Amino acid sequence: MRTTLMCVLAAASLVCAYVPVRAHHAFAAEFDAKKPIKLQGTVTKVEWINPHAWIHIDVKAPNGTVEQWMIEGGTPNTLFRRGVNKNSLPAGTVIVVDGYQAKDGTLKGNGRDITFPDGRKLFIGSTGTGAPGDPQQPPK
Amino acid sequence: MHYWFPRLTMIAAGVLFAGATVIGQTPAHRAPLRTPWGDPDLQGLWTNATITPFERPATMSGKPVLTEQEAAEFEKETLRARDADSRAGGTDADLARAYNQFWYDRGTKVVGTRRTSLVVDPPDGRVPMLIPAAQQRADARLAARRRSPADGPEDRSLVERCILWPVAGPPMIPGGYNNNYQILQTPGYVAILIEMIHDVRIIPLDGRAHAPSSIQQWMGDSRGRWDGNTLVVTTTNFTGKTNFRGSSEHLRLVERFTRVDPGTINYEFTIDDPASFPRPWTAAIPMTKTDGPIFEYACHEGNYGMTNLLSGARAEEQSK
Repeated sequence: MRTTLMCVLAAASLVCAYVPVRAHHAFAAEFDAKKPIKLQGTVTKVEWINPHAWIHIDVKAPNGTVEQWMIEGGTPNTLFRRGVNKNSLPAGTVIVVDGYQAKDGTLKGNGRDITFPDGRKLFIGSTGTGAPGDPQQPPK
Repeated sequence: MHYWFPRLTMIAAGVLFAGATVIGQTPAHRAPLRTPWGDPDLQGLWTNATITPFERPATMSGKPVLTEQEAAEFEKETLRARDADSRAGGTDADLARAYNQFWYDRGTKVVGTRRTSLVVDPPDGRVPMLIPAAQQRADARLAARRRSPADGPEDRSLVERCILWPVAGPPMIPGGYNNNYQILQTPGYVAILIEMIHDVRIIPLDGRAHAPSSIQQWMGDSRGRWDGNTLVVTTTNFTGKTNFRGSSEHLRLVERFTRVDPGTINYEFTIDDPASFPRPWTAAIPMTKTDGPIFEYACHEGNYGMTNLLSGARAEEQSK
């Protein structure tokens, strides 16, 4: 009985967690699911603007040239509320971006996941952040 | 009877809840719940973020309320699922989720009643099916979108154009982020600042008539009154360009705000639109006190997404 109920709850929560999630606009219209990207680059500036923040990075291409990429995140409001501010990602920081490239072929991508080169998450997940309303403590 | 039963049970629950919260409190503690001029005091910063789904999921059919243990499991499992690697469902689904959880702010708890849906009436927790005429309108909108998905910005959604968000309403429902509100009162007016997308509703309480029906507004035309301790806001004069789950410009929306304890407003709204739904339906969403500040979500200031998705559409056309 307990197992059955848990399965029901687990299935329902998956529906709950995934169905209503949406960003400000349809990312599928802007970026190409067939063009996954993984970039390591150096932050040159961050535009903390609405509706989406944009992180600018310099990426060294295999041929030695430097490409200037723009990476799209979410609203800065959420991050400000968690204590992230304009000093949290200074120019010169090296980050790794996992995402998808713009459909129009320009050097833009969505920052589905952003980490430091050693694998630590730059913006860690929704739980364990110590953010207001977060029931879990930050990871030790 | 069909309509009254849920309302009566909610009132009974509300009375019990309100009664429970005053135990151990002095009368002086309850006094601040009125403004200096004697109106019920709804002022402050509030959030309606919750993981309780708007409609009851099919997997919870017939189970209107979770036990405490089930609610804890539901919260835990929801957070776990959110933090799971989103690539597992394929690249299309991964891309649709945009970015990782840190950018979202959807709450971590179910509502205090532990109900399995925010919709409380009909009792099945589901929004009634659209009547055929309303379904035809919805189909026509979809067909127009498919004919001309991105010829220009006008083809894109109100959200993408930063005109209006369906969660901002009215009615006001929780979404992915910016679920914050500030209520301010003066004698004769209630103002509600909505973080998503920095609109302010200024609601007169002086009994004036609604605007003539020839005036239609994106957020309708709201009028308020006090019914005991409850603020009742009726909104009409919607445009046909907005729709809430398929509603029409004939929507008559009634919202009820009741402060049941210092930290909670029970917010309830009823959708009454015979041009769209076979019967009125009601949702109840608690608004809880939150710390500020509210940030200005100036949605169009850096809306690079609009140019990018139009240029993406042009690139797709050329590649065909």
